[in-house]
Amino acid sequence: MLIPPPLELRKFRLAGIAAALAFGAGPIQALTTEAEASPAAEVRMVTVENAVMPAAASISAALHVDLADGWKTYWRNPGEVGLPPEIDLSASDNVRDFEILWPAPERFTAFGIENFGYSEEVAYPLRILLEEPGEPAVVRADVTLLLCSDICVPAEYQFELTIPAATGTAPNIDLASAGLVSRFVERVPREVEGPFLREVQAQWDEESRLLTVEARGDTPFTQPDLFPELNQLTAFGAPDIRLGDGDRTIWASIPILSYDPAGDDTLLLTVTDGASATTLPVTPVETAPSPPYQIDLSSVGISDILWIAFIAFLGGLILNVMPCVLPVLSIKLSSIVGHEGMTAGRVRGGFIASAAGVMAFMWMLAATLFTLQWVGVTVGWGLQFQSPVFLSIMIAVLLVFTANLFGLFEINLPSSLQTWMAQRGAGGGYTGDFATGALAAILATPCSAPLLGTAVAFALTGGAIDIAVVFTAMGIGLALPYLAIAMFPAMVSKLPKPGRWMVLVKIVLGALLAMTTIWLVWVMGRVAGLTPTVVTLVLGLAIVVTLSVRRPAALAKTGAVAGLALALLLAPVSLGTERGEAAEGLAETEWAVFDRAEIARIVSRGGIVFVDVTADWCLTCQANKLLVLDREPVLPALLDESVTTMRADWTRPDESISRYLASFDRYGIPFNAVYGPAAPGGLVLPEVLTPSVVLDALERAGGAALEQARSN
Amino acid sequence: MNRRTILVLGTLGVGGYAAIRYLPALIPSDFDFEELSDPSGFRSIAGGETSSAFNPFIGLPGNEDAATAPLVTEDEVRADICESLFGRYVPSDRVPVASFSDYYCPFCRVQTRALGDMAAANSDGMIVKWHELPLLGETSELAARVALAGDLQGQYTAFHEQLIRTPFQPNDAYIEQLASSIGVDFGLLVQDMESETVRRQLETSKILSRIFRFVGTPALVVGRTVVNGQISERQLRDIIELERSSNWRSIC
Repeated sequence: MLIPPPLELRKFRLAGIAAALAFGAGPIQALTTEAEASPAAEVRMVTVENAVMPAAASISAALHVDLADGWKTYWRNPGEVGLPPEIDLSASDNVRDFEILWPAPERFTAFGIENFGYSEEVAYPLRILLEEPGEPAVVRADVTLLLCSDICVPAEYQFELTIPAATGTAPNIDLASAGLVSRFVERVPREVEGPFLREVQAQWDEESRLLTVEARGDTPFTQPDLFPELNQLTAFGAPDIRLGDGDRTIWASIPILSYDPAGDDTLLLTVTDGASATTLPVTPVETAPSPPYQIDLSSVGISDILWIAFIAFLGGLILNVMPCVLPVLSIKLSSIVGHEGMTAGRVRGGFIASAAGVMAFMWMLAATLFTLQWVGVTVGWGLQFQSPVFLSIMIAVLLVFTANLFGLFEINLPSSLQTWMAQRGAGGGYTGDFATGALAAILATPCSAPLLGTAVAFALTGGAIDIAVVFTAMGIGLALPYLAIAMFPAMVSKLPKPGRWMVLVKIVLGALLAMTTIWLVWVMGRVAGLTPTVVTLVLGLAIVVTLSVRRPAALAKTGAVAGLALALLLAPVSLGTERGEAAEGLAETEWAVFDRAEIARIVSRGGIVFVDVTADWCLTCQANKLLVLDREPVLPALLDESVTTMRADWTRPDESISRYLASFDRYGIPFNAVYGPAAPGGLVLPEVLTPSVVLDALERAGGAALEQARSN
Repeated sequence: MNRRTILVLGTLGVGGYAAIRYLPALIPSDFDFEELSDPSGFRSIAGGETSSAFNPFIGLPGNEDAATAPLVTEDEVRADICESLFGRYVPSDRVPVASFSDYYCPFCRVQTRALGDMAAANSDGMIVKWHELPLLGETSELAARVALAGDLQGQYTAFHEQLIRTPFQPNDAYIEQLASSIGVDFGLLVQDMESETVRRQLETSKILSRIFRFVGTPALVVGRTVVNGQISERQLRDIIELERSSNWRSIC
């Protein structure tokens, strides 16, 4: 396929022709050296002026490096290792001095080594000052460059350009060279404060291990990167960059890999963002600037929001069939099967109440998330399962529901409350329906469904509006089955007539719910330890027993239940959590403990790292483990000696894991990523794993490089 | 959908999956070797074009003193090329690896770290001979001299570890601090950096790089296989195994 030249180039050609016509004085003679070609790069020297104008004190030139695929060359500060280009013009005639203007660099991260430089093409503009203004000059350049792909090749070049004195007064400029030079001069960072960047401050920690910087811009940053420079011998690692104040404040913490305090050099900071770049001296401050809170306002377009709302809706809908939510939907359905005689109105009302319950919980969650985010707490999907109090309440609630399904008792609200609600005309009796809906939503949180991660991440990185939209859409998705029945209550009559099978269905559903309860008990055992769990279980069972007592002394019974519930609430708090770990399963021993720093090291040795962030309360994680990770054909692949498996356990809160997830814009689990020589930045896998997804990622991370080298 | 359709579809699905999963593994993926005419017996794996299309390789100017006559000649290096590459003694059950690197070359760090770890683990039946090939100017050369002088006091590995982990600082204070942190005699170290032994080693490595026409660093010679550029640990193991099963000593 023929690709038309980019617009700029076409414009440029036209301009060139126009200029040729305008000057009309014979062919335009480009002052350009022959390109020195190697498989790595074509290198040449150009000057903008074809002749030195009368009284002109300087000329503009450039060292033009056209790099082959995969080759790089370096900035004035090459990063941890590497060499900047060196240009020596001392052998020139009529050259007093010169200055290299360094275009803003890109960051290359390979095998944990940070390098700053250029790929594809770069021109280093040179401002050359003449000794005798207006006189001809001979520029003799001795250039050394380091060019690297997977091999580093130093290269040396000699160029010579003779620039005659101009014969007339008409400017004699080579447009191609001028275009090239101006294109790269535009990329040279500005060196004054301006709308793009101002107020740069930084703090060195006491051991000179960490540099914390903060700067402001008048317009929001989009994808900024920053490059600190002190002197040749001080090297910095990869920065952790965050934005705040409507993306107008940039904050970063940068590890200091090596520090040379010998010089009294000023610290310079170059910030790049798209086409903008500025280098400013840094004002040292005593205390480290604190990291910004999350972004305040939504800065995304309406189409993005609609799209993400659709994703959230689908995610919510899929949640209904995930193992944690399915029992609740079943309970709801069985409740109608149980009450065949209900009117369409009653059925409709009940299901609308359930949908409202779902929505209420979702909105509550959204409000909580927003508050937490506003306060600056790291939040995530399913985090409440890290709280023993929450777990003990859930266990009790589920025990009650299970007992109800097994027919131990019917849930009846105290008559006084019922009368009260009836009097209010609020349609008493819907409370249970509402609670069912809320329960569905609560239980949905430990289950991550496909698409959900994307939506939740979007909400958590966004502002209040994003959170509201995403959680509403998710709620509607989750409530859809209830709404559907509410809309077509006639569907209920399609259900078979009640009979003995009903008892069976109830028992099956009860068993499902009992399994969920057992799972929660197990989770609590891991989160809080043995004693609080046993206490919770005993108290929960006591509540069930109290409720099942046939002869009710209403007040006594309510009192007893309330007392037990209170005890249940207090138990995990007062008993504290036992941090002792239970014995690990056999397969567990193969997993190394997650260590973010170790990943780069292993990858740098050509190894592959498989990271699994999991928690005992995360059902989807357990499913991934049982159905994919611990089984053929994935297990042998993970056990291969070239693969290091790391497991991060998020069962209990852990700041370093939260940070790690946040770096991928993920705030919930399951999270799996594969690192390898071909994917040092990590390949993120979908929430629900399949063997082919895992194997493919392993192959892409490690194998691609291997295959390529072999085919060469 | 009847049972037969389900069965057919199921079989197709499983078959298709198996084909995608296992077929690629059946296609052999051996290295493509290219025999070298000089020095004969050796072979190279990096694509022929890359290595031959670069200009004859010289490196960046170091602080070589033109006045001092070379201590080693190419003929001497070629006379026993195995010893020049791999050192005097290679145990019979080991595959030798000659590693050429520069402390200022980004990919050398990666390569030497991997190689160092493999050698330390000692599980691959290989033995490494480290060559310093300082191509990237004076500081590179200084770092190389420090490492080789450290070797004379039996601390090559310690110096090597330090030098690939931090940028080298070409001043006495840094070298002194390096010496004291590793626990070698600083005075002796400085003296050894200019010694004939160290110069001999540097010259030998440089001549070898010319003989094998390395275009840059890192570069390896594994048995009789010449590798230009950084390769993964797994590839390196594969090559070591290939060398073990073939008779690499034929080159000696």
